[in-house]
Amino acid sequence: MKAGAALDVGGASKMPTTGISRGVSALGFILRVLAFICTLGSAIAMGTTNETLPFFTRFIRFRAEYDDLPTFTFFVAANGVVSGYLILSLPFSIFHIMRSAAQNSRIVLVIFDTIMLALLTAGASASAAIVYLAHKGNTKTNWFAICQQFNSFCKRISGSLIGSFGGILLFILIILLAAIALSRR
Amino acid sequence: MMKRGDYTTIDVPESAARSSSSKEKAPAMVAAAPVPRPTGWNKGLAIFDLILRISAIVAALAAAASMGTSEETLPFFTQFFQFQAGYDDIPTFQFFVIAMAIVGGYLVLSLPFSIVCMVRPHAAGPRLLLLISDLVALTLTTAAGAAAAAMSYLAHNGNPNANWLPFCQQFGDFCQKATGAVVGSFIAAVLLSVMVLISTVALRRV
Repeated sequence: MKAGAALDVGGASKMPTTGISRGVSALGFILRVLAFICTLGSAIAMGTTNETLPFFTRFIRFRAEYDDLPTFTFFVAANGVVSGYLILSLPFSIFHIMRSAAQNSRIVLVIFDTIMLALLTAGASASAAIVYLAHKGNTKTNWFAICQQFNSFCKRISGSLIGSFGGILLFILIILLAAIALSRR
Repeated sequence: MMKRGDYTTIDVPESAARSSSSKEKAPAMVAAAPVPRPTGWNKGLAIFDLILRISAIVAALAAAASMGTSEETLPFFTQFFQFQAGYDDIPTFQFFVIAMAIVGGYLVLSLPFSIVCMVRPHAAGPRLLLLISDLVALTLTTAAGAAAAAMSYLAHNGNPNANWLPFCQQFGDFCQKATGAVVGSFIAAVLLSVMVLISTVALRRV
């Protein structure tokens, strides 16, 4: 009887741990949905930019699209891949909410999350460098700032960076929450 | 055994010794319940993490140094221009040098934490702290490397649509050193991501 009472006490102390672990997993799921919205918005905003100036000369074309710069093509592709991955990982996230003791699948999800974080950061920062160049130009290398002519194109590409960087922040929080859920068991 | 209705009660006979020293016995039974956890895996992971950390320090500092010393002056000059190229001519490369220096400094400062994790394989606190800060360092390294890679691509190939001409043809050494530095930062990013994974796997066994 005394041994049975000791086991009951052990079982009751596990309940708050499971509750917090479930809350952490639920928060991770919410952040995942938010990150999907952010990256999808970024990809669409960058991918649908198209500005044609109302005048033209014989030599220079006055049209700006996202695929004129290979870095922006990489940005759209990276954001598309990451948002597709986030949609596919939502069922796994729901599974982790329901079963808090799942460890190996959490590790697999963290591995893929880290890869996607690196991809997203690479795309976002490369196009941030190009956007900075488009705004300011570079006098030493004789690179002219194209934002002075293509105003709405510039605004669009600058705005699409915001969603991507928000997605990066959310990814860091997602990986952090997964690590906390792993360490609590 | 007593049968009462549809369940059976099993009487455990209480020995005299147990009833007299029951208070000492009960905690011993509860304390004996957890299985002793093996330390082999976690310690091996921590040692591997330390080795990777030292390699990442080398990679990050080499990248910062390579970009920082990449100045080149061409042997000819005109009346108005002296043809000089340095990392501080391009703000992205400035950001690269500063970011890689920060990451290299952080990795050096995190060596004691890694040693603590090796000495105490089952402590969750240092592991979690290392995971968080490695994640931030990974993001910073990837950002610096990708931005400098975009600039290097532009320097090598230019962009006819925006009328941006490549300058690598004229400043060959500068371009080579800058691109080499970018490669170093990518190596550091890969090592950091493996370190993040090691911390995650080690947290599972804590």
